[in-house]
Amino acid sequence: MLLLRLWNYIRGYVIILVEGFFLEKFINICIHRQIFLWDIKKLKNSTMRLKVSIPGFKLLRPVAKKTLCRVRIVRKKGLPFIMNRYKKRKAFVAGAFFFIALLYTLTSFVWTVEISGNKSLETEFILDKLASMGIKPGILKFGIDTESAASSLMLDIKELAWVGISVKGTKVRVEVAERKQPPEIVAKHIPCDIVALRDGIIKSIVVKAGQEKVKVGESVTKGQLLVSGAVETKNDQINTRLVHAIASIKARTWYEVRRRVESKAVMKERTGEKKDFYSLMLFTKRFDFFHGEAPYENFEKIEIKKRLSLGGDIELPFELITDRYYEVRLVEKELEIEEAKQSAMEEAYGEAVAAIPENAQIVSTGRNFIEDGQGGIDASVIIECIEEIGVAKEIGGK
Amino acid sequence: MPDNRSARRRKKDNNENPKNSLKEKVTEILELPKEVVLNVPKITMIGRNNLIIENYKGIIEYDERRIRVNTGIGILKITGERMAIKEITSEDIMVEGELLSIEVLK
Repeated sequence: MLLLRLWNYIRGYVIILVEGFFLEKFINICIHRQIFLWDIKKLKNSTMRLKVSIPGFKLLRPVAKKTLCRVRIVRKKGLPFIMNRYKKRKAFVAGAFFFIALLYTLTSFVWTVEISGNKSLETEFILDKLASMGIKPGILKFGIDTESAASSLMLDIKELAWVGISVKGTKVRVEVAERKQPPEIVAKHIPCDIVALRDGIIKSIVVKAGQEKVKVGESVTKGQLLVSGAVETKNDQINTRLVHAIASIKARTWYEVRRRVESKAVMKERTGEKKDFYSLMLFTKRFDFFHGEAPYENFEKIEIKKRLSLGGDIELPFELITDRYYEVRLVEKELEIEEAKQSAMEEAYGEAVAAIPENAQIVSTGRNFIEDGQGGIDASVIIECIEEIGVAKEIGGK
Repeated sequence: MPDNRSARRRKKDNNENPKNSLKEKVTEILELPKEVVLNVPKITMIGRNNLIIENYKGIIEYDERRIRVNTGIGILKITGERMAIKEITSEDIMVEGELLSIEVLK
């Protein structure tokens, strides 16, 4: 029934009043002539109200004449009447079409390029590469061949293991996966030495090929020769033999980080005063409105960007940027000494742990505070590890 | 037993219009829709507020409280309150309102 009502609305209908003494006859004749009537309601004084479609209404006049009824339109309803009303407003219709056309053209461009998944690679770098390939804000999105762009990006940037490019609305989404860089390996047939990766004390040496140059318990410095690929023979006639040294050398290493315990801290406190400056970003051009100097001596600046978007992925190239300045007061605060110590230690420990390579085994961790005699305190963390420190280095190489 | 048999015979004899009864029998055997073949109305009532009469001949009287419709079986008189014709086509008529009674007048 809803469908029928909708259909009637689209076709358009009129609500009419029929006045006369032979209303039943009127209905019967209408039915006979295939004029569809609905919602017939009898009112007082021999009138009835009913609905009839527009083409049906045009056929009603002879029927009314025949049955001596008077027909009067109460209301016109439906789409054709609304359309009729807007037919006169040419500018409005033109504006509506213009709006649709504008929306269509604006959404057929790429307005943003989003890159996700990169860890060590700079986003800017990938964006530059994409731009040189022709994928940048401002181009038509229909011209993008995502597959070929993805493969050429992979070829261009060696660190990428996988690239997925998809166009969503006005956004180009680039997902990348970085390749884990394999360590530089000296090929088996090239003779090489083994040198120390970092300072430490040798704990064990297992040599498979080459001549060892250090002993267990000896302290070594970074870059020191541990196992030589040049094997000397006792026989002077024969020259030294060059081999590809292979050895497993484990050493104790120490990672130390010191942090000054700051008992005083300068805190910024907002005074509650703030001032906004507005700018409009149109495509890639920025328009500033009445920007002045920074209004306060000490301030914090926050940039709030609001992008006009239609739904999630369709972004338009208009951006409202609000530069908000908060006035701040600089307040020196005396910190609790224990708290300050704690936080300095945490920081030092975190930094030390970050420096330890993955394959190293932590043996012990030492934490202490060192006073420097002038009232200052340092938090010190020393982590002792056992790790593989041998690294192959081509003989005569860098 | 003999009483019963005579009653059945009488019923058969009562069917005086042989043409109509033949038609009726055929439609019954072939399971055809009766309202189409026999030119009788099909009256459907949904609750007490909706009434659909299919295969009618014409409206004789229409009022808020009384509607009379000409059909193949005679005049159908419907009484009720605040009745309106929701839809009317050459095949069916849909009445809406508080229905009170339906009578068939020969």
